[in-house]
Amino acid sequence: MLDVHGLRKVYEGSGRRTEAVRDLTFTVEAGELVCLVGPSGCGKTTLLKCVGGLLSPTSGEVRLAGRRVDGPPPGTAFVFQEYGRSLFPWMRVGQNVELPLKQKKLSRERRRALVADALESVGLADAAGAYPWQLSGGMQQRVAIARALAYEPEVLLMDEPFAAVDAQTRADLEDLVRRLWRERGITILFVTHDIDEAVYLGERVIVLSASPTVVREQLKVDLPDGRDQVHTRVSPRFAELRTRVYEQIQAAKRGR
Amino acid sequence: MKGADAALGAAGLAAFLVLCEAVPRLGLVDDDYFPPAGRVADALGRELADPAFWSALGDTLTGWALGLAIAVGAGVVLGVVISVVPYLRQVTASTIEFLRPIPSVALIPLAVLLYGTELRSVLLLVVYAAFWQVLVQVLYGVRDVDPVAEETARSYGLGPWARVRHVLWPTALPYVMTGVRLAAAVALILAVTAELVIGAPGLGARIAVAQTSQAVPEMYALIVVTGVLGLLINVGARSVERRALAWHQSVRGEVAV
Repeated sequence: MLDVHGLRKVYEGSGRRTEAVRDLTFTVEAGELVCLVGPSGCGKTTLLKCVGGLLSPTSGEVRLAGRRVDGPPPGTAFVFQEYGRSLFPWMRVGQNVELPLKQKKLSRERRRALVADALESVGLADAAGAYPWQLSGGMQQRVAIARALAYEPEVLLMDEPFAAVDAQTRADLEDLVRRLWRERGITILFVTHDIDEAVYLGERVIVLSASPTVVREQLKVDLPDGRDQVHTRVSPRFAELRTRVYEQIQAAKRGR
Repeated sequence: MKGADAALGAAGLAAFLVLCEAVPRLGLVDDDYFPPAGRVADALGRELADPAFWSALGDTLTGWALGLAIAVGAGVVLGVVISVVPYLRQVTASTIEFLRPIPSVALIPLAVLLYGTELRSVLLLVVYAAFWQVLVQVLYGVRDVDPVAEETARSYGLGPWARVRHVLWPTALPYVMTGVRLAAAVALILAVTAELVIGAPGLGARIAVAQTSQAVPEMYALIVVTGVLGLLINVGARSVERRALAWHQSVRGEVAV
């Protein structure tokens, strides 16, 4: 579904050359939920923006369903970490969710149905008339997720979406993502710096090195499909996997 | 609290009027040049009953509104174009900084040469003064676009025009509103100035006539009218601003989460 091959990104500006991403190659199968985890500042966001067509790579390429990505592809939706800035404060929740659909030339009825269904899915059916800034942080991120769902993407790119919400809200949102993934069969690429989150959410965890970034290890998460915050997190297998990822990240930080 | 403020404001105004009445009557100033408030009020009453006053008011408001509309339209369109087209901003920046500080009144001779005492003279001055207020605010506002909002719009496939409409314009709107409010005030000043100096028909010209014919109370009455006009324009602009920006943090106030 998603092929990243030899991806390299070098930022050049004001006499400085920063190699954010050196050489990344990995694939994500259709319907898979893959978590990318790496030490902070390792170019995770850069990578995701290249995948989403928001940045063009210096070399290498990203292919989505066989087609080379050279701009935001129609079948991908993006959820940003900064939900407060990603939602438009001048639009109500319903309008925020509907805006991307207007570019898709859908009928009004179809748009309405998609918006209602998406808000329903994230548990905000009655918030359509509110402004985003009238909602709590967790609810705002739900709106951003609803906007992505309504867009009916094949691939959902999530850039540390829960880094700015409190721990309890975060657990709820993680379960929400798991549930939506299972219900809708969307391919999800989820970037995080939180090791527990990566193991809890992912079917597979890709561990990245420190910048300049390469893939350090890919780990299959063989936890049962039905996960929950209480039991999954204390299971021995979960502990093993998180220890494994933790060691990799620590080693990556030391640069070995 | 608000009621008390209003009461204090009214008391202050009343005291000021009493002072304006008392000072000339006590002979502290020459009442030929500074008539008591009561006489100015009488003159104002006579003005309000005179159809010629209303047509002068209409002329002034026409010049103001037309000039402001042209300035806002041109300022917004040019501001957005300058911001959106690559390099245009850098190319125009120094020229704008040079043209902007030229006082509009310095163009009075030019206006007279071009258009005499026609409405177009007034418009030239009003538009020149008001245009920069709007343009500069639009340029600032457009620069304020949040990169995350812009990337969100791009990632959802919004094209350039849709991004201008749904991201750039709402972001710039608070600045545009400030620009319009400033421009509305400046436009009134320039409309009256142009009438006063050039003699284009309007309140300014009427003030000049009152002055030359020694109708001092009438002159003051007309000055009061221009002041009230300025006040109303500011109040109106602020209420439009509050409505259009109900979502903006400067207006929406505290939010219960």
